[in-house]
Amino acid sequence: MCGIIGCVGRGDETLDTLVHGLSKLEYRGYDSAGVALANSHIDLCKHSGKIADLREALSDRTLSGSVGIGHTRWSTHGPPTDENAHPHQDCTGDVAVVHNGIIENYQSLRDELVSAGHTFTSDTDTEVVPHLIEDALDAGADPEDAVREAISRLEGSYAVAVVVAGCDSVFAARNDSPLVLGIGEDATYLASDVPAFRDFTDKVVYLADGEFARLNGDGWTVTDTDGTVIEKDIDTVQWDPEETGKSGYDHFMLKEIHEQPRALRQCLRGRVDELAGTVDIGDLGDLSPTGVQFVACGTSYHAALHGAQLFREAGIPAQAFLASEYATATPPIGDALVVGVTQSGETADTLSALRAARRRGARTLAVTNVVGSTAARECDHALYIRAGPEIGVAATKTFASQLAALNLLALGTSTTGDARQVISALRDLPGHVQAVLDESAAQEIAELYQDANAYFFIGRGYQEPVALEGALKMKEITYKHAEGFAAGELKHGPLALVTENTPVFAIVTGDDERARKTIGNVKEVEARDAPVVAITDGQSDVERYADHVLEIPETHPRAAAVLANTHLQLVSYHTAALLGRNIDKPRNLAKSVTVE
Amino acid sequence: MHIDTAVVLAAGEGTRLRPLTRNRPKPMLPAANRPILEHVFDALVEAGIEKLVVVVGYKRDRVQDHFGPTYRGVPISYVSQTKQLGSGHALLQARSVVDGPALVMNGDRLVDPATIEAVDTSYAETGHTSIAVLERQDTSRYGAVEVQDGDIVNIVEKPRHDDFRLINGGVYAFDGDIFEAIDETTRHAGELALTDTIELLLESARVRAVEVDGMWVDATYPWDLLTVAREVLARGRVVESARDEQVWVDNSARVHDEATLQSPVVIGPDCEVGPDAVIGPDVALGRNVTVGANSVIQHSVLDADTRVDPSSTLVDTVTGQDVNLGISTVVPGGPADVQVGTEVFEDQRLGAVIADRAVALGDVSFVSGSLVGPNARLATGVTVDGTVREGAEVVR
Repeated sequence: MCGIIGCVGRGDETLDTLVHGLSKLEYRGYDSAGVALANSHIDLCKHSGKIADLREALSDRTLSGSVGIGHTRWSTHGPPTDENAHPHQDCTGDVAVVHNGIIENYQSLRDELVSAGHTFTSDTDTEVVPHLIEDALDAGADPEDAVREAISRLEGSYAVAVVVAGCDSVFAARNDSPLVLGIGEDATYLASDVPAFRDFTDKVVYLADGEFARLNGDGWTVTDTDGTVIEKDIDTVQWDPEETGKSGYDHFMLKEIHEQPRALRQCLRGRVDELAGTVDIGDLGDLSPTGVQFVACGTSYHAALHGAQLFREAGIPAQAFLASEYATATPPIGDALVVGVTQSGETADTLSALRAARRRGARTLAVTNVVGSTAARECDHALYIRAGPEIGVAATKTFASQLAALNLLALGTSTTGDARQVISALRDLPGHVQAVLDESAAQEIAELYQDANAYFFIGRGYQEPVALEGALKMKEITYKHAEGFAAGELKHGPLALVTENTPVFAIVTGDDERARKTIGNVKEVEARDAPVVAITDGQSDVERYADHVLEIPETHPRAAAVLANTHLQLVSYHTAALLGRNIDKPRNLAKSVTVE
Repeated sequence: MHIDTAVVLAAGEGTRLRPLTRNRPKPMLPAANRPILEHVFDALVEAGIEKLVVVVGYKRDRVQDHFGPTYRGVPISYVSQTKQLGSGHALLQARSVVDGPALVMNGDRLVDPATIEAVDTSYAETGHTSIAVLERQDTSRYGAVEVQDGDIVNIVEKPRHDDFRLINGGVYAFDGDIFEAIDETTRHAGELALTDTIELLLESARVRAVEVDGMWVDATYPWDLLTVAREVLARGRVVESARDEQVWVDNSARVHDEATLQSPVVIGPDCEVGPDAVIGPDVALGRNVTVGANSVIQHSVLDADTRVDPSSTLVDTVTGQDVNLGISTVVPGGPADVQVGTEVFEDQRLGAVIADRAVALGDVSFVSGSLVGPNARLATGVTVDGTVREGAEVVR
């Protein structure tokens, strides 16, 4: 995915404002970046590489203009080169466009434009937009109508921002890609995400699909496709801009792992009453679903697996689906509640799955971290996980908060016998996570096994999604092979991969049948000389069969999942640090994936 | 010129506060129900500081996690002192992020914002290094100073004779040359003490003494946290909203209608207090503390995530974080002789100090003056008398 920004009203500081905003959006993509400022003509600078490379390129250039747009790119069409970097221009150089998303009909548009004599300089889908605008301008349209006309030709997902030479406005439109306006005292901003302009204003307007915005010296207007003005609410965001700092840590990921106690406190605040044994999640409590289908991707999918187990344990049929599969092969829904779990609320696959469910008349609920995100707005209901902004590409604290929020959802919408015990365990969770952070031997484990050929993770019940998540984290940031399995599946194939150079992380909590069976699996891998790292609360005797133990406090198995996961996050983090990986921005990955 | 940068020294463990410092440095121990360092930052922010620099070292994560990148809108830079080689050495670590004059103070002592403002004003008016000084009856435990015409002329650590009236208040305004002065200071036993640098400054420059009174409290031993809490509550340096005169309850806390809060008392965020519990006077509950039905807590500081099960009595008690006290725990409190290592502190008012994550299963009684180490496990029905070591299991 990509990040876009635009601003008007910053005078001589326009360029600095754009570059500053791009640096805050760099988490959305970082293989090329560029800016364009409009005056009587367009001044443009773009470069492959990080924002720092763009700054370098700008250092010996003079760009002038008091309206401008910028872009940080994560390649979808065409490799990261200077040519493919945004902004893109038309043949005359009087139009500049930045775009996030995918234009699905770009090939036919491009063919049409080429045969009409337009020259393309990049491999991107985006470049059709400035040429379409150029055609409309040539036909006599004013800049706003020209942009509208071009937008009307596009199919697919987009958030676009446009500047035109000799025009003091930034034009923008969205469909299926995030776009938010920032309303300052004398200036107006637009961006893919709030942090881009949060240093300048906390007043925001969220654009909806099909809406068109014009920003100029007089302020801003939002209109629909017909040009009718839409009255928009101005929201105030609470997030502190400095929360994007690393506060003394080398990486955002480690900072965010350490923020889990705080994130969990925020998630639970005001929602649990242990002495009364009740959970308060507002009007969501009345949903009383008779069935639940979760849709999610990546780490959120692992949280969804946990969520589905919670409902099943409460006697409510529930399943977790990979959103990308669900969107194109939607199962029968019946009267199930469809719950999308997405940190950003902008994950394209999850949005598609939720839309597929809604088309079939299903009730939908978004479990998300971002207030005003597309998922939150499109679903019938939203439950916020309140983890605060997460900058590291690898999801850490948001997974912990998702698990806590899903527990609240299950407790709040169904009646289970041991609500008070779970609430008590949830309230203990921040302190217990702190205990893991204080005592974890993860770094020593990482040092011992940084050269391993592969890493395997096994668990049962609530610890199975943790095994999957442990492996995903390891893959994402160390670039090493890692797989997570339901412990019982190990002997049905994967055991063939196990050698003395493949450490196996076994999550064993409690001392019930699941624990005993997982210990049986531990013995299987031990017999193949694989080193075993047990993550355990010490209730079973798994340490007898393990080479190393990572301890967690004794608690409810649902809460134990968060604690075990914290150790695994730290093992992955320290392994990646030892291997010198780019931890906060692993290769080929972006924070929230807004393309399908 | 008004000074806009403050350097706060928060790298040392504070070993005399063990076992409470097992997982965090002394500045993160509670003054009532917020870390000491938060009070230090409050005073600095209220005095108009616009940039905070914190020297962290021992268990630095805990400082960084608690405050993050800003405090009350003021940006924080963290610099690391990996080996704790004295206060001068600590300050030296901030060299790269400090540009121009700075206020310097310790992160483990509560002072009045007025003290900081007075030091700042002195520097602004004179341009000379300025240091807060306070009057004390007994100067032998402190850094004593001799003042002539408002200038410090002599500084002596823990003087053996009682000719002194004033002590070093530990709040300094330095210009940017302080780092060079530290460079030129002789190390003693490998350590660089800031007071040695000040002695050196006295040889060549004027150093202004800024006489102040007002709050100046710190904790030397664990039981001092009870005195600190009393002082904080008496001065109302509390952020929770006031429900009544000297009764502060955070909006997110749940206090049962049938529970009694006796002033002064502060209940932190996310706390739950059960029916018929009696909390106070002089009690501070940290974040997410749970007090069960019918329990009585007086003159105590219970730090974050601590659980006290029903029908317990805690008097003159300090708990660390995430301490679990089972049903009918009894700490009667009152004066006691407390033994720390080979030293005995006579007649201290202390029920018990129970460090982080210690667990008492139920019906556990504590003889006054007991110290329980972190992660200790006390079995049902045990009576604790004296010191329980870290991680120990105590059975009947």
